[in-house]
Amino acid sequence: MDFAYTPEQESLRQEVRAFIEENVSPEVRQEIEELGIRHRGPKVREMYRKLGERGWVGISWPKEYGGQDGSRIDQYIVEEEFARAGITVGGAGSGAPAILAAGTEEQKKYFLPGLIKGEISFALGFTEPQAGADLASLQCRAVRDGDDYVINGQKMFTTAAHYASHIYLMARTDPEAPKHRGISIFLFPMDTPGITVRPLWTIQNDPPAPSGTTYGDARTNEVFFEDVRIPASCLLGDENMGWYVGAMGLNLDRVGASRYLISVKRDEDIVNYVKENQLGDYAVAEDPSVRDRIAELWIEAQVCRLMTMRSMSLVEQGGNFTYEGSAEKVFAPEHGVRTTETISQILGPYAQLLNGSEDAIEEGVFAHNLMGSFQSGINHGSTQVMRDQIARRGLGMPRG
Amino acid sequence: MDVLPNEEEQMVKNLAREFLEAECPPRLAREMEKDDLGYPPELWQKMADLGWLGISLPEEHGGQGLPLTYLGIIMEELGRAIAPVPLHSTAMAALAVAEAGSAEQQRQLLPRVSRGDLILTWAFTEQTPRFRPETIHAEAVPDGDDFILTGTKMFVDNFNVAEQCLVACRTAPAAADGDTAAANPGAGLSLLLVDTASRGVSHTPLTTLAKDKQSKVFFDGVRVPQANLVGPRHQGWPIIQRMLDRGTALLCAQMVGAARKDAEMGIDYAKNRAAFGRPIAAFQSIQHICADMILWVDGGQLLTYEALWKMDQGLPASVEVSQAKAFCNDKCEAVVRSSQVIHGGMGFMMEFDLHLWFRRVTAWTMRLGTSFEHRAKIAQSLLDQPGRVRLGMDQIPVG
Repeated sequence: MDFAYTPEQESLRQEVRAFIEENVSPEVRQEIEELGIRHRGPKVREMYRKLGERGWVGISWPKEYGGQDGSRIDQYIVEEEFARAGITVGGAGSGAPAILAAGTEEQKKYFLPGLIKGEISFALGFTEPQAGADLASLQCRAVRDGDDYVINGQKMFTTAAHYASHIYLMARTDPEAPKHRGISIFLFPMDTPGITVRPLWTIQNDPPAPSGTTYGDARTNEVFFEDVRIPASCLLGDENMGWYVGAMGLNLDRVGASRYLISVKRDEDIVNYVKENQLGDYAVAEDPSVRDRIAELWIEAQVCRLMTMRSMSLVEQGGNFTYEGSAEKVFAPEHGVRTTETISQILGPYAQLLNGSEDAIEEGVFAHNLMGSFQSGINHGSTQVMRDQIARRGLGMPRG
Repeated sequence: MDVLPNEEEQMVKNLAREFLEAECPPRLAREMEKDDLGYPPELWQKMADLGWLGISLPEEHGGQGLPLTYLGIIMEELGRAIAPVPLHSTAMAALAVAEAGSAEQQRQLLPRVSRGDLILTWAFTEQTPRFRPETIHAEAVPDGDDFILTGTKMFVDNFNVAEQCLVACRTAPAAADGDTAAANPGAGLSLLLVDTASRGVSHTPLTTLAKDKQSKVFFDGVRVPQANLVGPRHQGWPIIQRMLDRGTALLCAQMVGAARKDAEMGIDYAKNRAAFGRPIAAFQSIQHICADMILWVDGGQLLTYEALWKMDQGLPASVEVSQAKAFCNDKCEAVVRSSQVIHGGMGFMMEFDLHLWFRRVTAWTMRLGTSFEHRAKIAQSLLDQPGRVRLGMDQIPVG
């Protein structure tokens, strides 16, 4: 057991901080505020280009595909420092782990360097109106036609669809097979003819949430596929094996710095806020009930951190996840909810004030978080589904 | 950064588990609840022969000189087996002697501990059950080459079989430092090794939830040689704090081991118990309880080993210790209670073994600091010092 970073890792962290200080200028920040982190303007693109030059994206991926053959822990350190600066670098939800596990040589050579350079990003086309937790019952169809597949159907809550370059789509290729055995994964450009993206607006961003708000996006989407024709080379892994191909990447996509920070950033925020502020005559930080509750949440946050470290350690040891990724995905989001709701009871009526309101605390960030915190326990596998997986895969309990 | 056990640590853990599964069935824990000694000397001797008793004691005094994380692994496995042995109290006192004792004390005591022919304990709590220096009123007054010790100690573990007891006492009144006394209530405390057979020592056994051996101990003008002072006179508080921190983290390891075994018994029971025509393990309401039990034990385990590891590195660790104990108090209790619930009426039956774990883990939540006490320490370190906090960066302990 070793609970410390190596001196090399500590100095990497310092380098990353120095880079952020130097390159994430007020102008870059302003561009992020205006366009969002994902719609990259020229200044943000330049920053990502320099970041790519340092070799800090996809550190743990193989060199031949643009990575560094480095450690997952190094990658985590880079992700953590950038996530704290409000910038997403690689990491969770990238789709890369599944491509590495199941992609053809051609796919790896095309997608991985593109992901590293920031030229490629994926919208995850999983959920459908009638297939959420029961994802394997999805109905979006892909039919083989000569050298092509033709896609028809609908996806829902496809959050990145309006800015991603590509979609990572799960579609049914064999409607006769048992539901888990008739699914395939396809990777193709979002500008392929026949795709329509319609916005769905979330409750978290009216008025617009301030920077530093965690959890939800302002916008997600529904995506319609109408006779979308793609070459058969877009298939990832074998036909009808998509459920299992997806599972290879999923645990790795669930762990990482940004997901961890989403759940614990608020703990730091509330401690720092009550240390530096009173509410009128009320010295919040001296209230024994508040102190007890804050300490309790802080301990939970440490457990979130250690569970993330455990996942990193498992990857580094080359081990397999049985339930550890799911454990992290239960504990951290539920902790985030407890913290967010506790903050509302610490700050009282001030915690209801939204961005732009008179007397809003920190631009209303706590109010906006309240509307979104539960959401991290729903997306990417709900905490209920995760508990099912812990029980069945981790503890060998039978299906009902 | 690798929070998982390495090969060597895993090997020690596996060996300990195999040994205890063979040598320490639950029947033994049950028998020892009614035994006068409260521990089986044969098992104790075998543990000594395996090198467990001195695993983290210095090599020059017959120990193995391994980090505390290894002793933690042993304590975790002892907890799993609910082994009725006096290692926790012995290790707490022996490690304090190894840290702060004189060369002579170390030479006299530590090899005997490793060999298995010296059981030790420690005494801190008096009437006020809080781990604060101002609760200490037991007094040791110099008299020639001796101290005369007077006071009463509560909840002294294994006192009935301990040959020596490390007693926290006052050698100078808290007010001795004049104006600084209020700011420094730890001043004036000392640690004395007291032979439990000394004239003036007596004890009353307490009847506890865990049916373990705890005593109320009376020191009535007990003559203790000044050479038995462990560490500097009047300046025992930092040594006591480190002793309590180590003991608390090791107790957490024991709680985690016991709670995990208890959870596993609940899970196994659910797989075998049928209701409505299927095993109850097939019901999601049961599955989700079981998933939570494992999450909670895992969390406690990670916090515990981080605390032990930090102590091994010589880093400040009392915040980490408090994190581990507060979490284990709440969550290990939730685990064993949940397992009782899964077992239904069976878990309530004296003849069924589950309660052996339930009662012990429950009792251990009250030992060495309640959740409130430990969270108060964490809150101090978070809120009462200048500067912004960041997770994963060291919190500096206060007090």
